[in-house]
Amino acid sequence: MDGSYDEIISDNPFFVELKTEYSNLFQHCITQSWIICVPRIGSLTTRIFAVEDFCAHVLVPSDELPETHYSTLTEKQVTVTNKVITLEVTKGLPLHSHILFEETFYTEDFIKYKVWCIETPLEPNATFSDNTLSKEYLTSINDCIDLLWTQAAGRQVLDQIEHSVQLFIKRNPTLPVAVGALRDRVSELYTQCLQITLQNRRLRDKSKSCKQVLENIKLAVECYMQHLLFDALLKPICTSCAYEDSHLNKKIRNMCDIQLRDLDIKKELYHAVPKAKQILSKIDTYNTVLEKVLCLKQALNAINKMDRGNNVVLLTADELLPVFVFLVIKSGLPNWYSQLTYMREFRFSGVGRGDGDECAFLITTLEAVIEHIQSGALAGPPDPEAYYYESELTEEVLEARGRKSSLTESISTSTDTNGRDETLEYIFDLIKANHCEQIQAILLKNQKHIRNVEVIENNVLKTLGENLSDDDDSDTEIYHKLCHPLCNCKKCCCKISRNLLKTSPTVISRDSHGLTPLHVACIHGKANIVECLIEMNSDVNATDLNECTPLHYASARGHQNALLLLLHSGANINQANIDKNMPLHMAVNNGHLNCVKALIYFAEHSRRKIEINCVNESGNTPLHLASKWGYEGIARLLIENGAEPSFQNKHNKTAFDYAHNLKILQVLKSCTPNLYEYIHITNSDVKTLKCNDNSAVKLQKVGFKNKETHVTKAVENLKLIERILKAISYGDVKLACFYMNINYSVYLDMKNKPDSSSTLCHPLCECQLCKKKTGTYSSDFDINFTDTNGYTALHFAARYGLSELCNILLLNKANINCANKKGQTPLHLAALNNKSHVIRLLLDNGANINAIDLAGNTPLHEVSAMGNIGAAKILITYNPDISMLNGSDKTALTLAKDKVHLTIIDLIEKYANNYQIH
Amino acid sequence: MATNVASGAHNFKVVLLGEGCVGKTSLLLRYIEDKFNDKHLTTLQATFLNKRLNINGKRINLSIWDTAGQEKFHALGPIYYRNSNGAILVYDITDEDSFGKVKNWVKELKKMLGSDIVLTIAGNKIDLEHERTVPLEEAESYANMVGAKHFYTSAKLNQGVEDLFLDLTKEMLNKSEQTSQMDVSRTSQVLVVDDELTPVQTSCCSGSKSN
Repeated sequence: MDGSYDEIISDNPFFVELKTEYSNLFQHCITQSWIICVPRIGSLTTRIFAVEDFCAHVLVPSDELPETHYSTLTEKQVTVTNKVITLEVTKGLPLHSHILFEETFYTEDFIKYKVWCIETPLEPNATFSDNTLSKEYLTSINDCIDLLWTQAAGRQVLDQIEHSVQLFIKRNPTLPVAVGALRDRVSELYTQCLQITLQNRRLRDKSKSCKQVLENIKLAVECYMQHLLFDALLKPICTSCAYEDSHLNKKIRNMCDIQLRDLDIKKELYHAVPKAKQILSKIDTYNTVLEKVLCLKQALNAINKMDRGNNVVLLTADELLPVFVFLVIKSGLPNWYSQLTYMREFRFSGVGRGDGDECAFLITTLEAVIEHIQSGALAGPPDPEAYYYESELTEEVLEARGRKSSLTESISTSTDTNGRDETLEYIFDLIKANHCEQIQAILLKNQKHIRNVEVIENNVLKTLGENLSDDDDSDTEIYHKLCHPLCNCKKCCCKISRNLLKTSPTVISRDSHGLTPLHVACIHGKANIVECLIEMNSDVNATDLNECTPLHYASARGHQNALLLLLHSGANINQANIDKNMPLHMAVNNGHLNCVKALIYFAEHSRRKIEINCVNESGNTPLHLASKWGYEGIARLLIENGAEPSFQNKHNKTAFDYAHNLKILQVLKSCTPNLYEYIHITNSDVKTLKCNDNSAVKLQKVGFKNKETHVTKAVENLKLIERILKAISYGDVKLACFYMNINYSVYLDMKNKPDSSSTLCHPLCECQLCKKKTGTYSSDFDINFTDTNGYTALHFAARYGLSELCNILLLNKANINCANKKGQTPLHLAALNNKSHVIRLLLDNGANINAIDLAGNTPLHEVSAMGNIGAAKILITYNPDISMLNGSDKTALTLAKDKVHLTIIDLIEKYANNYQIH
Repeated sequence: MATNVASGAHNFKVVLLGEGCVGKTSLLLRYIEDKFNDKHLTTLQATFLNKRLNINGKRINLSIWDTAGQEKFHALGPIYYRNSNGAILVYDITDEDSFGKVKNWVKELKKMLGSDIVLTIAGNKIDLEHERTVPLEEAESYANMVGAKHFYTSAKLNQGVEDLFLDLTKEMLNKSEQTSQMDVSRTSQVLVVDDELTPVQTSCCSGSKSN
């Protein structure tokens, strides 16, 4: 690092001699504030100095160029550029010497003088030793290995360090997750490695002779150790920072479309940003703290400012910080906080130097940047459309404009030139400021206007064709204002054309970006405006130039209310945008758990299928994103809803590969045991299951194997039923049958060949012949096994409307009236989910139509409350008892009335009347 | 923290605080490079600079951290000024608001770091004396009240800059020597303080456990 060379000047023999033996010269230098150059310790072989030697090392600034040009007291010309002293020599090449550091001295009377410590003496014919410094600055892991190898003349030191690191990893298979404890353990290892290194005689001797060497050795050992240990170290660090990382990621993801000018970054810096970003985003490829800090430094150095003459101008902290904020946001790194923690806590060789050095400054800057992003001080979520419109509308300005526009409106009614102010931008601004009524008024008026224009057009055409006067459509506003509907005087023509030329915005207007008012309302999450726009027949699936629908924006911005409104109005839940991102991707990527929940639960509730494993352009499923950014809650939710962690994206990475901390890994693994089996069977075995009998036999064997194990353990049974229920919830009848040891193909045969089924004595006959036909194998698996919530397979089959499976289950003696822990029978579930076919099937097979659950509801109650018309119609035909009261003393009819389900009220009332008559 | 035992040098961290545009960066540049608004600079960034000093044979390594002065970065202050030995609070004598900012900083630093930090207040831009809005007496009496030295500087004319840093360095040197002496003499006292503290801590812990 910069200025790493250090020595105590006042102990330097050259300087001591000058001060004591030639005090006159020395005093003169001080009073004249000439610069004294001191060759670094060890660079001069001789210890005997003459006056000339000293004079050659005193620099007198020249009168014209005091900054760069000097002459020595021996009348030699010296120039200084970029910390290198160049001495003009009469014969041969000029002599160069590095300025190692500058030290400003103050005497007791506070007279100031400067001393430069230089690398080689400024004497052309001096015999200086070839004891050159070992490489001063270590900049990479290779430098470190190089240093340890060459200085120790062999690689045994490296081998020993490697050995102790491996021993450490072996002894600590699970490292502590708390950073403090982790740091202490690694710090112990570091000391150990340092001891090993200094046991080497060569290294010990060298480090004793020069403090600088020792510092470098310390740094090299630290780097080499970190290099070896990094893989084991990163996971625990990421785990302890998981919470901070995921929150930071959410903040960053939601700011990802931020622009340089949003951060008040000066235009002169724009050119440097791409390069700096490129450098900084490589920070996670480095394993050692040294390299990471250097990466920060390089990124900062890349941000330099050019003025018009292409000169580099100084960068101040005020300008630097926003650029750095921008770089961190755009870098796309998922674990900034972990990186910071690693750099801050595992920089052992820097300990003891305090906060003084540049590393500390760089790390602190990063910390400040992260803190700044996390604090949310960046003014709100940036508006993507603000990029297109620069409008700084405050409430006040808006009110003023509102007043003005109402004024123009009042004028307009008289002069018929309304809509001067009603540009689309104005509407968007109104949406931002949440002025629902104003928007509604303007849009409605414009819509009406367009209808009028269309009417006129029709009329004109009609009248042209038929040459008839007055027709009935003419009762529109504009027509009233014309002299006569067919008048073509100048005034009237003018009025009509003005109306035709009017371009006021409507709900379907789009800006240059393809955004409709509904898009903008969703971006800003104004639920009431969304509602009002939908009422005005906005297109809920309108796409902008990135093929994003309003639903994409609502989910990306985390506006749950707007999102639900859109879904209920029929927005397509599986619409892909230009990057093939579904709304689910957007919500997951930006970490909006509430929106992910809303999307999944809505899909589940409305039986619309949401593709939980859909892939975007780069092959990422939502689970990839959740795992990458460390959103634990979302990952769990996705897993619970059937997301598959082993899918590969286009970089051949699975969600497991993206998980950078143990918490996420745990979530991914937690649900895999049973799910994994499920997926594997569906992918390979089930395909064969479909085709022929041979493989079916083979599978039965597998089934028997399974059976033997789970007979013994209740736990196994639970797992099995969970697997079955999952298969049912996927609608996979064949797999469920396979799990339950039911021969599905026999059932199919039975269905396909009605003649064979006719040979059955009775659908429920249990005689040997029929049993074989229906394919019931005497298995130990009880068809009425329940999961922890008391659900049987029949419950699930009813819930998901799989009438085929219900039939199979019933043929296999499933208990039709078994209740789950909420007291619900399969019929309840079918009624709740409006599965008319299943309801009919269940009732035909003797299900109790008046069964009550724990809340006292009969299936009819459920139907009335939910407003499931289809289900109600069927239930009514099976003579339910409509007088039954539920837990809150309500009949099905009152429930329907509460919810105003008119058709159902009608149905029940009709039925009641009939009932009374009978 | 402040003393590097190996080299016998004192490492001092100094932060520059103050509103934007009061000339923090110019002060720093004037001190390190003896330049003002110059295009021929050896450093690209003025956000972190090092300076080695030797006062009466005592070696001092000054690390000077410039901070962002804009209001939106105010909350980041604690990250920058923690562990610092000295702070230079800069205001613009022609801008009364910037002096108000200095008062805020002083309050905050006193609260967060107590007397561990040496404060110096610098009224910059005295080359614009005729536009002065911050009264001379007010600034100096305020500095006295909070126990800070007050300096008038002009980075443009190179006035008072050297003195400002030199004086701050001397103060920090005094403070660090005092504390190291205190540490030696106070060892017995520290034990007493610890005894007082420990029961409080345990009761606090047990309290949280019972919850």
